[in-house]
Amino acid sequence: MSAIILLSVLGVVLLYLGLGKNKVLLAPVAILGVAGSAALMLFDQRPLPAWAGGAMLFDPLSVKFCVAMAGITLLLFVFGADYYKRTEENVAEHYALMVFSLVGAFLLTSYQDLLMLFLGIEVLSIPLYILAGAKKRSYRSSEAGFKYFLLGSFATAFFLMGIALVYGMAGSFDLSVISAYATANVEQAPALFLIGLFFIALGLAFKVAAVPFHFWSPDVYEGAPTLITAFMSTVVKTAGFAAVYRLIGVHITALPPQVERTLWVITGLTLLVGNVVALRQSHFKRLMAYSSVAHTGFLLLAVLSRNGASGQAIFYYTLTYALASVGLFVLFTAAKRAANGDEHIRVFRGLFKQHPLLGAAALIMLLSLAGIPPTAGFMAKYQVFVLAVQSGFVWVTLFAAVMAVVGIYYYLGIIRETFTANEAPVRIELGVGNGAVIAVCAIGALLLGVWPMGLI
Amino acid sequence: MMMLTLAIILLPLLVGLALLLARPHAQARAVALLTSVAALGMAVALCASYDSAAGPVIAFQHDWAPAIGLRMVFGYDGISLLMVLLTAIVFPFIIGAGWKNQLSEPAIANGLMLLTQSALFGVFLAQNAFLFYVFYELSLVPVFFLLLRWGGERRRAITMKFFIYTVLGGLTLLFGLVYSYLQLPAGTSADFNALQEVVIVPDAQRWLFWVLFLGFAIKMPMFPLHSWQPDTYTMAPFQGTMILGGVMLKMGIYGVVRLVLPIVPHGAAEWQDVVIGLSLVGCLYAAWIAFRQNDLKRLVAWSSLSHVGLMCAALFTLNATGITGALYQTLAHAIGVVALLYLVSGLQTRVGTTQLDVMGGLKVKMPRMAALFLLVMIGAVALPLTQGFVGEWLMFNGLLDVSIWWTFIGVVSIILGAVYMLYAYQRSMLGEASKLNVADADETDHWVLVPLIAATFILGVYPQPVLDLLTAPVQQLLTQLH
Repeated sequence: MSAIILLSVLGVVLLYLGLGKNKVLLAPVAILGVAGSAALMLFDQRPLPAWAGGAMLFDPLSVKFCVAMAGITLLLFVFGADYYKRTEENVAEHYALMVFSLVGAFLLTSYQDLLMLFLGIEVLSIPLYILAGAKKRSYRSSEAGFKYFLLGSFATAFFLMGIALVYGMAGSFDLSVISAYATANVEQAPALFLIGLFFIALGLAFKVAAVPFHFWSPDVYEGAPTLITAFMSTVVKTAGFAAVYRLIGVHITALPPQVERTLWVITGLTLLVGNVVALRQSHFKRLMAYSSVAHTGFLLLAVLSRNGASGQAIFYYTLTYALASVGLFVLFTAAKRAANGDEHIRVFRGLFKQHPLLGAAALIMLLSLAGIPPTAGFMAKYQVFVLAVQSGFVWVTLFAAVMAVVGIYYYLGIIRETFTANEAPVRIELGVGNGAVIAVCAIGALLLGVWPMGLI
Repeated sequence: MMMLTLAIILLPLLVGLALLLARPHAQARAVALLTSVAALGMAVALCASYDSAAGPVIAFQHDWAPAIGLRMVFGYDGISLLMVLLTAIVFPFIIGAGWKNQLSEPAIANGLMLLTQSALFGVFLAQNAFLFYVFYELSLVPVFFLLLRWGGERRRAITMKFFIYTVLGGLTLLFGLVYSYLQLPAGTSADFNALQEVVIVPDAQRWLFWVLFLGFAIKMPMFPLHSWQPDTYTMAPFQGTMILGGVMLKMGIYGVVRLVLPIVPHGAAEWQDVVIGLSLVGCLYAAWIAFRQNDLKRLVAWSSLSHVGLMCAALFTLNATGITGALYQTLAHAIGVVALLYLVSGLQTRVGTTQLDVMGGLKVKMPRMAALFLLVMIGAVALPLTQGFVGEWLMFNGLLDVSIWWTFIGVVSIILGAVYMLYAYQRSMLGEASKLNVADADETDHWVLVPLIAATFILGVYPQPVLDLLTAPVQQLLTQLH
């Protein structure tokens, strides 16, 4: 909890710093602040209390999620130090909004009642609505912000309605009470309760971009500034899955069969649509958007397996996914600049020839996303497969395996570009900070696979 | 033996990585060749130290991610050693084959080849199903780049097809392994010796067999999953084709012996007829197409397909003779196909094409090359006293136990094999003296081909040491089958 307070203060401090003329301090303060909150999370060894009248609880898993998200944000801030040097827009506000969003992400990993879940989602999302539209002069960015806001509000409205209905039937926001109610009525759930659960599921499905609520993601990913896209595809996704897992993996484990079936259909569709549509993308950010939908499918598989190890597997999966995609986004930004703003995957062409180390890093990260051993991405997918088969979902897992092959195809497309020689190779300029971020991401994506360091 | 086992995997890995990163263009080939020769030395030492009576050896084990069944366990028995030996024997020749006509950027090309070799050693020495899988997939990555970068026409599309095919097989295999692993008591890791004990109900074995077998069937490839193979073999650079045909397809045979037969014996028995039938159909069909080829490289590709069909059929005889024959034949075929491809690449550089109708009468211009070709071909058509004969003899004996008709089909394919090989020789070497101005075999050619030909005859006359490697593990496999 002290970490959340620190982050909130940090956000305000950043806003104040933005008022001054000298903005040198911004990035260091933001980085130190987030690092401090991660450290507080990790080393504040006092017995973990329940906060806000039992509405929040930091258990070991949520602590892990928080530390990971803070770590990823940290990487993005290092990236931002260079990124914003070039764009020179309202830097302080950007940092502050991301920090506020991170507060929401922390709430999402630790809620114990539905109101806190709602609060977390809103605190997470509202800064993002602004950030997605941050490039004011860009038509696409404005469209992204507007679209995200509009659809997000719809999702929120349904979500709130769902909470209201569930509250009405179960008589409490407390998840343990709702869980008991769900268990008692698992065979013959009252219609209003069912509808409530559906609406809650809909709201969450929107946040994690599960089919059929994924339509916003390619447009928003494409339009938003790359830094924000990276934030959305990593921190926000991690937080979303921490929330989903907490809701139906930990608390309401006995779902009525109708809801259960619907969730399986959503999982299957998410795997199918994400992977198949990504095949047709040549725009890098759109490709990442659809592939992120595909990864949502794998993660849902882990959530629905509802095994004792699911939380751990989801943590590992989101962490490795975040590492690889942050690194790629950083690399993409540099390559895009070298290619005069082109945003298609052809900006990677000739990368290996020109910059062997960058090419190798790209290779590792892409292989990790594709799930090829011995990278971390393979371990992550493999863990999900083990969980799902263990829980008896044999055919869905087989389907997921086939979908993973489809996924490999489009990641290979980028790898192919990276290793194809270009007639007019472009030199990519990379600051020390960005180089370090890419190095951390690539080494992480390999190391966590070869030597999982107790994370599995 | 722990050090030796690890060293044989690590040496090519580290040297390969060093070549990729440092890119010393000048010495790359020499470094790679030396490394592969050193690996051969280590493989021979490993074989020499192995006492088949004492049974399988676990050389190294270490916890990796035991919670999901993954442990780092390396070890070997006779079958593993045969495969290690095979890999170690052919790689110096594959690397040496690039001595004259090196691929551009030799450091990267040779580095990738060493990485492949390391991954292959890993596949054959792994004693845990998931560790096996990690290396199995890993071996694909350097090959992917070899094909993509140095392949011939339409390499992008063909490489993708190859990769997707094998990865699809790989992932279904992974799924099958996960399923089998989860039938073990909780807390066990998926080590081979644990998996051999796994009991899977016959009903589940019926489908699980195909899930597990599919990946290996694609890798070999078995008819009708072969459509990637002729294109890939033809498009790949010669050294790439040697790796694919010489060693990588043997991962399929090895995988069946190591994972499919012990885990789903009932499934294997149930589908025995289907697999043998398909294999033999493929065998005949490929032989027929090989016979119709005008392109020598394609001919080798199809002939390889045909031979593998026979090996696969022999594996599924599920008796000692057949399985031993198939395993013996993996070594025989590896040596044969590498020599054959080397010859074809030699012709390609001299004549400028691999089309048979352009050649003809080359014997006059290149008598020594023609002689070498003849000797290699004798091995390829499995004349008595060559190693191919030993393998085929055993395989047919095994098949006879199952059905005389199957054996008959197999024999027909062998006859066809002899026909298309001799016909190819006739069309390229014999006839009216060629007008092409081509050079005869030189020193490098002899360095590569003479040892390979010698191996062909030595193994043909004295196969006992290799068969000794196989006796005990094949017996053990049979006890699991029944």
